[in-house]
Amino acid sequence: MKKRFLTKIVSGISAVVLATGALTGCGSSDSSTTTANNADEQVSESVDTTENTDTAEETSANYRTLDEIKESGVINIGVFSDKSPFGYVDENGDYQGYDVYLAERIGEDLGVEINYVSTEAASRIEYLQTGKVDIILANFTVTEERAEEVDFALPYMNVALGVISHDDNVVTSLDDLTEDDEIIVISGTTAETYLEKEYPDIKLQKYDAYAEAKTAFENRNGIAWANDNTEVIAFSIENEGYEVGIPSLGSADTIAPAVTKGNETLLDWLNEELVSLGNENFFHADYEATLLETYGSEYEDTLVIENTELP
Amino acid sequence: MNWNVIREYLPLYIEALGLTVKIGWLGIILSIALGLVCALILYFKVPLLQVIIKIYIELFRNTPLLVQLFFLYFGLPKLGIRITAQTCGILGLTLIGGSYMTETFRSGLSAIDSIQSESALSLGMKKHQVFFYVILPQAISISIPGFMANIIFLLKETSVFSAISLMDLMFTAKDLIGLEYKTIEALFLLVVFYLIMLLPVSLLGTYIERRVRYAAYGD
Repeated sequence: MKKRFLTKIVSGISAVVLATGALTGCGSSDSSTTTANNADEQVSESVDTTENTDTAEETSANYRTLDEIKESGVINIGVFSDKSPFGYVDENGDYQGYDVYLAERIGEDLGVEINYVSTEAASRIEYLQTGKVDIILANFTVTEERAEEVDFALPYMNVALGVISHDDNVVTSLDDLTEDDEIIVISGTTAETYLEKEYPDIKLQKYDAYAEAKTAFENRNGIAWANDNTEVIAFSIENEGYEVGIPSLGSADTIAPAVTKGNETLLDWLNEELVSLGNENFFHADYEATLLETYGSEYEDTLVIENTELP
Repeated sequence: MNWNVIREYLPLYIEALGLTVKIGWLGIILSIALGLVCALILYFKVPLLQVIIKIYIELFRNTPLLVQLFFLYFGLPKLGIRITAQTCGILGLTLIGGSYMTETFRSGLSAIDSIQSESALSLGMKKHQVFFYVILPQAISISIPGFMANIIFLLKETSVFSAISLMDLMFTAKDLIGLEYKTIEALFLLVVFYLIMLLPVSLLGTYIERRVRYAAYGD
């Protein structure tokens, strides 16, 4: 019995091997004919790759150059879909906000359609590194660690961290917290990095997305919520019963568009674009169109950055 | 792959594995208990209760765990009921798991041919004897493969816990990627730790299935 079983297995395996051999044989001849058919289309691509291999070690670049974007007619821009008033989806299903206002203009000046890709804070770098988006315009704070992974263009907004709490129990200093107090943060934000580094003893309650963190904060799952101060100020203005106890925490940072590391053509174009936009006071117009309603005019000059020349 | 990074991440993953396993197994044990009770109620056609259970099963089998967790974690506090994230995770797993376990066990019970209970009754066994000595042992052994599949399914479902701020394996990996951008190391450890958690269950499942098959009649 056993012997017969073994022979069965052996013959079965050899049959499978033979079959795969035959199939791969067919496969390779097939692919050679298809390459011949597609040869015309592939000429332009192969030219690009040879250029890339000369300059960089990585043969498969994970980004599209400026020309490739223009040629395809579509640019993929990563934005937030739940962070009002910077990047959000309005009741008609359209993307709106300070970041989106800039994205619209970039699309217009490039002469291409925009494909908005909704991102979460923690996946912004991933999206660039894997080429899922060409530009990230999702309230992306410039930090040294991030600059090692992606290339930032010129900044277009100032930001610091802020801490908001319910107005009947306002947190004004992070040193006063008791052991049981938890601070809500969003995974992958500068607030998380800062608190992990500077206040390792504070218990953090981490959420994936803005919407979840917001609801958790409203439900008092944590004593306070640490985030970009622009965001917490907007929240306290838009909602009753909250107070920003710590309006500015940590170092003053800037927010800038980011592209995949090494995508110089797109980066250079973006920088020139940001300078020419700065010269026409574009970001003041952007502020007035998107942020004025929330913040009033008192924050306009502290938030907005207009670049007037290349560094 | 940077092994120093992996060494640095290991304690975080071990902690996350502990939490995932703790919540996962509590949820699984409770869901098996809930499933058995519900299946028995359905089998004996208890009036009213069986209608409620049917509604419960359809509701929880046809909505994703993530949606259920949102309701439990973000919805209940609005009604004044406050539960911690861990309780919420266990409750969510129990409810979705219970609905799957009920269906599995119910199908095990109904797989026993009625000729068996008829024969047992004609041999003079009492009704409860028929159930406990003839139907139940066979039903359980038939349900075991389904139970094991459900257990693995439930352990994998823990990956949506990040939505309610539980630092399970998935969220730990995502969080580390967001903090330090060491994607390859974080994802590698994620796969390894899921395998550490699930492979023993899967192997144990195969073993148990082989052992309990003797109970089945006519095989």
